[in-house]
Amino acid sequence: MGKVLMKGNEAIGEAAIRAGCLNYFAYPITPQSEVAEYLARRMPEVGGVFLQGESEVAVGYMIFGAAGCGARVFTTSSSPGISLMSEALSYITCAQCPAVFVNIMRGGPGLGGILPSQGDYFQATKGGGHGDYRLLVMAPASVQEAVEMVMAAFPLAEKYRNPVMILGDGLIGQMMEPVAFPEDLLSEPANKDDWATTGIGNRSGDTPNVVKSLFLDPVQLNNHNLLLKAKYDRMRRDEVRYEAYNMDGDYRVLIVSYGTMSRVCRTAIDSLKEEGLEVAMIRPQTLFPFPEKAIREAAGKEGCRLAVSIEMSMGQMVEDVERSIQGRCPVEWYGKCGGEVPTPEEIVDVVRSMLQK
Amino acid sequence: MRAPLAIQLQGIVVIVGNYGSGKTEVAINLALACRRAEAHVRVIDLDLVNPYFRTREARYLLKAHDIELILPPAPYLHADLPVLSPAVSGAIRSPGPLTILDVGGDDVGATVLASLADAFRGHTIDMLQVVNPNRPNTDSVAGCQAMRIEIETAAQLAVTGWIGNAHLMEETSPDTIVAGYGFASELSRASGLPLSFITAPMALVGSLGDEAFDCPVLPIQRQLVPPWLLAEKITVPDSRTPGGATDIG
Repeated sequence: MGKVLMKGNEAIGEAAIRAGCLNYFAYPITPQSEVAEYLARRMPEVGGVFLQGESEVAVGYMIFGAAGCGARVFTTSSSPGISLMSEALSYITCAQCPAVFVNIMRGGPGLGGILPSQGDYFQATKGGGHGDYRLLVMAPASVQEAVEMVMAAFPLAEKYRNPVMILGDGLIGQMMEPVAFPEDLLSEPANKDDWATTGIGNRSGDTPNVVKSLFLDPVQLNNHNLLLKAKYDRMRRDEVRYEAYNMDGDYRVLIVSYGTMSRVCRTAIDSLKEEGLEVAMIRPQTLFPFPEKAIREAAGKEGCRLAVSIEMSMGQMVEDVERSIQGRCPVEWYGKCGGEVPTPEEIVDVVRSMLQK
Repeated sequence: MRAPLAIQLQGIVVIVGNYGSGKTEVAINLALACRRAEAHVRVIDLDLVNPYFRTREARYLLKAHDIELILPPAPYLHADLPVLSPAVSGAIRSPGPLTILDVGGDDVGATVLASLADAFRGHTIDMLQVVNPNRPNTDSVAGCQAMRIEIETAAQLAVTGWIGNAHLMEETSPDTIVAGYGFASELSRASGLPLSFITAPMALVGSLGDEAFDCPVLPIQRQLVPPWLLAEKITVPDSRTPGGATDIG
């Protein structure tokens, strides 16, 4: 199949269908609404369902219900909407149900604005909802990568029986790029028999599956949390993804940046290279698990004098960068938010002046 | 070699089309091209449904080229609210030599036109539908025609012609343009509506050859770009050197 020109939001909707997800519940919010609009037209064509909830709180529990029944299900929203879904995310994670959540981030906090932002890094990687839980978080930098990550998210959610979040900024949702779709993935969740409440007559086993997030016995709850922790440790071991840029030779600065922000950094790195200043970049493709080891090794390379976390937020990912680097070199932050996106020229100036300090 | 066909538009030109068909990029480049011949060109940003990549993003460029731009009031420029300034109907009532309306996508975006019916009354209107066959839903003649009916119903105005805007962003090749021209010509025959013009990236115009097309070609210099790319510097085609261009800043 040749390439088509799609808006990120449309491509995300189509990718979910190609991944065999025929259940979509959502509530409109800028800059994500085109997913709902696209799927309102497209889901009926493939025998799927799009149901708009009365709020994001309701949508969160519609996802929980469908996931608990073993259906492949997903939702999309933007920052304030994800806040409202966070309670359900905590419940779904505790009950170990697979689901995919897409957050097309806008400026916050509060109602904020409708322009692109990466202000939900903490929310996605460190909670949002209550309790000891983690989401597997992937951050695309292009429309094509958004397609690939959405398609990868469903099998990963099922493998770990845990929600997967795709964290894109508003630009990922709104910009248009040519995309190609990989082969369809129309399989059923393979491990459904072990956990889904599909009715005793529909399964090979003879004990009922129970989907719940209530554990009144403290020993049981501690054991359940240990089981969840073991799962997050497996993710840390097996699911780290990142992309390195300009790291073959020596470099004086290491940039860590994700999503569309990393594309601005690439342009800046190319300009700095022309001036004779070598700057490398690690772009985390998974934000949880975070590419700690790769960043630590890159920062520890001889000649690397500085690491900079460049974000469309006020210093969130920088905490993970510092934690990863463990003092091997100084760590700085640069960022803007609210819809202001740092320009390549700005990053060139910032890197130069940080080096002179 | 024959001289390039010129785009001839006057009065009120309404640009409609499906989401992401390229209306805004066409409207901006059309305004810049027409400004070279017309004493006064005005653009109205009527996109009440799209949150990003709107004509307002090119407001400084258009101003620098002495093109009048009608926008929502400044505090609402980045709102996802359907703000319709009273200046819009005033401008439609007195369109001058050329007033281009850049309308939002699909029937939803075109709905605003119906509310301006009083202002349109008594004027001849060119309503041109932009089509890119590389977009979902408008990759067939039937798809474009279905979109046309939806837009006409919502707008309470008839489409009078097509703009062929076949492209794949940075991956656009001469083949994309030639295949897109074939598609737009077929659409024109099937619908009985003229193909007003097609577009091509300025960098490719020289390699295409004017003889290939029976309609004018609007060169596109991309202005609505993501933050890691630079907008193309506006140039005017130089008739003395085929494919050459003169920088006008």
